[in-house]
This record gives sequence, C-alpha cells and structure tokens, in this order.
Amino acid sequence: MTDKLMIALKSIGKNKNRNFLTMLGIIIGIASVICILAIGDGFTHTMIKGMGNHNMRNKVIIQWEPTSDYNTDGGFTQNDASALAGIPGVDHVKLTSSVAEAGAKAQYKTKNFSIGLNKQPKHLKLVKGTYFTMTGASNGVYISEDLAHKLFKENAINRLISIDGTIYEVQGIYHIGSMEYRPDAYVAKTTFKQLFANQIIKDQAKIYVNDGASKKQIGKAAVKRMKQMGEEKKTGKYSVSNPDQISKQFTRILNDVTYFIAFIAGISLLIAGIGVMNVMYITVSERRKEIGIRRAFGATSSDIRNQFLIESVVLCVIGGIIGMILGYILVSIINAFLPFKAVITPYAIILSLSVSTAVGLIFGFIPSNKAAKSELVGLLKEE
Amino acid sequence: MLKVTDVGKTYGKFTALENINLEVADGEFLAIMGPSGSGKSTLINILGLLDQSYTGEYLLENKSYKDVNDNQLSQIRGDELGFVFQNFKLLTTYNVYENIEVPLIYSKKEQNKKRQLVADVIDKVGLKGKEKNIPSELSGGQQQRVAIARAIVNRPKLIIADEPTGALDSKTSKEIMDIFTKLNQAGTTIIMVTHDSEVAEYAMRTVYIRDGRLYNDEKSVKNHD
Repeated sequence: MTDKLMIALKSIGKNKNRNFLTMLGIIIGIASVICILAIGDGFTHTMIKGMGNHNMRNKVIIQWEPTSDYNTDGGFTQNDASALAGIPGVDHVKLTSSVAEAGAKAQYKTKNFSIGLNKQPKHLKLVKGTYFTMTGASNGVYISEDLAHKLFKENAINRLISIDGTIYEVQGIYHIGSMEYRPDAYVAKTTFKQLFANQIIKDQAKIYVNDGASKKQIGKAAVKRMKQMGEEKKTGKYSVSNPDQISKQFTRILNDVTYFIAFIAGISLLIAGIGVMNVMYITVSERRKEIGIRRAFGATSSDIRNQFLIESVVLCVIGGIIGMILGYILVSIINAFLPFKAVITPYAIILSLSVSTAVGLIFGFIPSNKAAKSELVGLLKEE
Repeated sequence: MLKVTDVGKTYGKFTALENINLEVADGEFLAIMGPSGSGKSTLINILGLLDQSYTGEYLLENKSYKDVNDNQLSQIRGDELGFVFQNFKLLTTYNVYENIEVPLIYSKKEQNKKRQLVADVIDKVGLKGKEKNIPSELSGGQQQRVAIARAIVNRPKLIIADEPTGALDSKTSKEIMDIFTKLNQAGTTIIMVTHDSEVAEYAMRTVYIRDGRLYNDEKSVKNHD
C-alpha cells in the first residue's frame, strides 16, 4: 500500500501542471461544499443558541389577527388577559403589540397626509431645531424631513399643523436613513398616551407558563378559550404565534441558496470527474511500457488496477484538501458579511474527503480497468 | 526445468510457430538463435508465461500453466522467472534502486529482507554507488546491469533474456555475458535469444529458429568455463 501510494505521488508529481488543472474542478467543488456546509451549520448553530437567548422556554405567544383589512380595531382586552391567566399552568399574562406606531391624519392648509406617529424617544438626532423631552400634554411635534417637505416645502420650524384635529407646533425635523425605520412624527409621551395609545391594539398575549407545564397544551387551550370567550372573537382570529416563523422563512431562502450552490458544486465535481477520467486515460496510455514491466515482474492485473485507482483517488484527495483550504479562506471572508458565524465542522471535512475519494474511485475506475485488462505481449512491445 | 511439446502459434493466417519441441534441463544455459521475424520473441513470450494463446503443451517444472488464472500466472512470473529485455525496459523516472525493487513490490517478502536482496544484487552486478542514479544517467551496459539485477532480485530459477546485448557494443556485451555466465554457474537456468553467434557461444547449447521452426538441437561444443 505504501509502495503504491509512493508510486501514485511520484506519478502525480511528474505532471504537476496537468494534474493541477485537472484538480481545479475538484478544488472549486469541494470549496463550495465546505462553504455551503459552514453557512448551514453556522446558521443552525446560531438559531439554536438564539432561541435560548430569547428565552422562549417558558412563554407562549397568542396572536390576534383582524379578519378584515378595513377594521383593524380589536386585539386582547384586560378581561381576555384575566381569562388566559386562569388557564392551569399559566403564571401570568402580558399584553403587547406587534405594531409600534399609531396612525393619524396630518393637515396643513389644504394638504392632507396619512402618517404614522409615536411618543418621542429619549434621544433623537435633528437636522433642524433643538431636541428636548416635552413635558405634560405638550403640543410640540417633531416631524420627519420627508413630511416637512411634503407639508411646507421649507421653513417648517415653529409652524402649526393639525394632527387628527389637534394643533401642534413643529419643534424639530429629523432625518430617516434609508436603512432606518422611524414614524413620520413624534409627540410628547403624555399626549401620545391620551390621544393615540388606544390605537395601538394589543394583538399579542404573552403567556408565561409555570415550570413543567406544557407550552403546546397551554397554547392550544389559550386559543380555544379565546375562540369561546375572547371579546374580539367576532372581528379577528386567534392563533399560537410561532417564534420560529421568521427563521423558518430565512431557512427556506438559505435552503434555496444551498441547493443552488450544491447544484454548482455538483456540476463542478461532475466536470472535475470527467477531467480526472480523461487525465487517467492519458496517464494509462503514456505508461503502457511501465504496466508491461510491472506485469512481467509479478504484478497482477488487480495490482495494476489498484495502482491507477490509488493514483486517481490521491489526485482527487489532494484536490479535495486544496479545496478545503480554499473553502476555509472563503468562509473566513464570508463571515465578515454574515449576520451569524459560519463554522466548518468535522462532519464537513469528512464529507469533503469522502466526496473527493468517491470522485476518484468512480471516474478512475474505467481507465484503471483498461490498464489492468491490457494484453501483456502488446504492452511489452511499447518503448 | 521445462518441456515444450508440439507448440504452435498462429496470428490469423500467419503461422508464427510450428511443431516446436524443446527440453531444457535444470541449470542449463540455452541460446536460441535466429534472424528477426523468425519467431524467437514469440517463443520466449510463451516460455516466459507472457503469452498464453498457443497450441500444444508447455510444462514448466512439470506443470502446465495453460489453465491457471491471471493472478497465479503473475505470481509465478514474479517468483520463478526473471526477464531481461533488449532495450533494458527500465522505468525512466525511477532510480536504480527503485527499478531493481519492482519485482519485490509484488512479492510477499519482508521489507527488511527486500532491502537486503536489492543490496545483494546491486553488489553482484557491480552497480554499487549508482543506487540513486536514474537510467538516463547510466551507460547502456550499466542500464542492462540494472535490468539483470531486477531480473535476479527475486532469486528466480529461470532467466529469460531477449537479445540482452542487442543494444550494446561488443566490449560491453562481453561484460554482460560474463554476468550471465556467473549466474548460470551459480545454478540459474538461462534461456537467451540472440542473433549474435559470438554471444551465443557463451551458452552451453544453441538451438536455431527459422520461419517458426526449431532446428539443430545439439549440445553446444564450446563449453566455456
């Protein structure tokens, strides 16, 4: 075996350029395989860890969704919350909203716009005006650059606008970046509570369960109870919200990408295999004399077949190892752009080595067999 | 050592060998002489178990190998026979040591013993110090010594040599034939094909082959010592 490995390495070393070109397909194929697996594994790893972080362990979320797009009022009421808290195994219930802002109409003279607004945040960077925390039911308002332009064209500061019939004075203008989400206007906290907070419906009920209680059963029981006695059961539907929904969607996209790269890797490996077969055919016909000599001095036809098979496998495995190194470099580069960390697992390395070995065996077989089956007398006539 | 009875071989309509009868005793040194195309190579291919498609009977050490499988044939070739060819047939990218080692790769001997065997034959053919050279760095005579070393490294009972001096000048030919003579004196049976009568004189007996038929099967008069 060591002898045959040495023979193989020697023969491969003799035609470095030719063999390197042959390996390219395998290198690319294996590098792709390593990348796919690293991204996939990294994502799975992050997701599992992330689930722990979000502390979904003792919490079930029940969602209320309006049946009609025109009537968005509804959600959970305090009575609903008490009803849910009564389910056995439930520790306490918290009502929250999946929507962050209230809808309103902003008006200046004859101009009229639907806007989203919220209570003012602690900090906000303004392009015009000065930012301060407005106290009490102040009628100050901060508006976005975009809204300011639409309403006033210019000089918006200290002008008056009407929002849902109440007059407000513009205190400042802020910029919304392209990657940033902000409502069109901010009002004082107290004002928001008094006038708009009721708009933000409590469409989520977070049910905290006791230790040892089944989240699945409580989720089912909660939905059932709401369907029977929920105060807004006529206007909307109740369901158990799946926290994995987003990651599921992401997984689906990731899977599509994975299939695509796997497809490329597959084609690359197929072409690589054909290249290997071609180069092995050349090697076999170049070395007819050598085959003849070895056969005359005791090599069996399976010795010859194995010798060339080993050579083909060694060629592919070397390509595979270079591919893995390239894959490792690519993964390090990709990691700079990924929201999670791609990891190369031992499984990926084993798979890559198996794939390259398989390519070598499959595509090396026919040429090796040809070498093994050659007529001995003919071989010895070769010079 | 071997006995050939009524052996024939045809390629399509062409008759390469016809009614060959030959007996070679243990320890004999036989020369087969004949012009090119006479069937010499065809005959020694059969004798060397390289060619199995012939008619008639060929017994090597009283055993017919006509119906044994390929693996067994390979084993016999590796263990019992040694070949020396006209143009040496060395592996050009392998050094002297590696070339001589080839038959040992396929035999089941221990690694340590193999090293000893190679060292022994290198000494025997006078190539000490040339172990790391590749064939192209050697003269023709040295290359043929490598080929002889390779043929005898497995201690075969029978050496089959096809025009071993065909590519060498007369002085070098003499050196090579001296090696063969020594091997024969040590008990190895040798069958050698040549078209050079001077070379044939080293043999104990010469047979002549023409147009696929064997003639003059008589003991060589000149029995040199």
